[in-house]
Amino acid sequence: MHGAALYRLTYLAAAMSLGHHLDHVIRHNAVGWPLTDEVNAFTMSLVIYPVIAIGLLLYRTGRVGPGFWALVSGGGAVFVSAVHFGPFAVEPPQMILGHYDPPILGWLAFTWLVTFAAVLAITSLYETRLWWQQRHMRRTTRPATDVGTER
Amino acid sequence: MTATTPPTGQPAVRPQPSGAAATGLGGAVLLVGTRIALWLGVQLLVAGVLVLGGAAASGQPLGAAAAWWMVDGALIDLGTLGVIVWLLRRDGSSYRRLLGPPTAAWQVALGAFGVLAASVPAMVLGAELNRAFYDTATPPMFAVVDVPPLASAFSVLVVPLLAELAEPVAYLGIVLPRLEQRIGRPWIAAAIVVVVWAAEHAFYPLLISHGSLDLVFAAYRVVSVLPFLATWTALYYAFDRRLLPIMAARWVFNGGTALALALGLVG
Repeated sequence: MHGAALYRLTYLAAAMSLGHHLDHVIRHNAVGWPLTDEVNAFTMSLVIYPVIAIGLLLYRTGRVGPGFWALVSGGGAVFVSAVHFGPFAVEPPQMILGHYDPPILGWLAFTWLVTFAAVLAITSLYETRLWWQQRHMRRTTRPATDVGTER
Repeated sequence: MTATTPPTGQPAVRPQPSGAAATGLGGAVLLVGTRIALWLGVQLLVAGVLVLGGAAASGQPLGAAAAWWMVDGALIDLGTLGVIVWLLRRDGSSYRRLLGPPTAAWQVALGAFGVLAASVPAMVLGAELNRAFYDTATPPMFAVVDVPPLASAFSVLVVPLLAELAEPVAYLGIVLPRLEQRIGRPWIAAAIVVVVWAAEHAFYPLLISHGSLDLVFAAYRVVSVLPFLATWTALYYAFDRRLLPIMAARWVFNGGTALALALGLVG
């Protein structure tokens, strides 16, 4: 059940990321390679798709667990927030709100971005709790297994 | 919490640890209805008292009463707690059960920090909404607050604490599980809770503009709290229905706002 929820949250975050990149493409501001020659935050953010694809493969084979996804989601939340919301934001809200006509589209794109960042943060907390639970369960079951093995 | 198999044909909803009880949806409606009725009633009562005491001009009693809305919150939350206790007695349950699985103090503190961090996107959206509605002016619900120092201290020390004991417990601990039980789909129940919880904010404070209720402000109140409530409700699920981290974070958030108002840093 937790595994299914983790998959669903990962797909949701990936879809929201794709939507936000599409927003960049439509606005055509704060875009970089491969749409322009400049390598910037937009270019770096594209690395998330191979990370998600490889992560899903590793998760399916049991090589990574919720802790890996907590780092990916948490890192994503920090990156998106720093780029868009922080005091040193390279792409502050006005770059989204002020670049659409009619303005309601700008509000939709901005609400999408805020929801995306919130989904990443909430997902990271959920995955951290799962990771902690699994770790706790492993700790509590290990002594019993060890005793059995010794005998 | 005991796991049960749902009877054939019934939606498979995870059994609730807390508020899905014998009083069912009626208890949830009673709780929400009580809160809204109390918000309206207490503000009208304060307006009446201010008029009778000569502290408000007869033409603007609601405007004068709005200055006290943060203090009024204590009465609304006490009333809410009264209904919660009554429902718990009827169902033979306890307040502790509404708070979810046991949570250590360090987990509450760490969780509260996580809640505050996850609320940053909602804060950013809130700031942009403030700008869209009121430009650089202080939002009216803060601008109208004007109470004596003693009442200010009360709104910093007592009101935020009562609010956390009542508001999230009512909506997430009681209303949400009952709706989940009735509807069978947790995400629809959660969406309804968020919308109703946000809608309640339209009733406080009641502001007058051009001789009638300020509906633009009411709409602003609902829209501006919606992202916060959606975040906190999602976190309630993410924390396996543990309420204490959310209550602690909200206490910091609301208490901090009340303190900033009392110190004159806002408004």
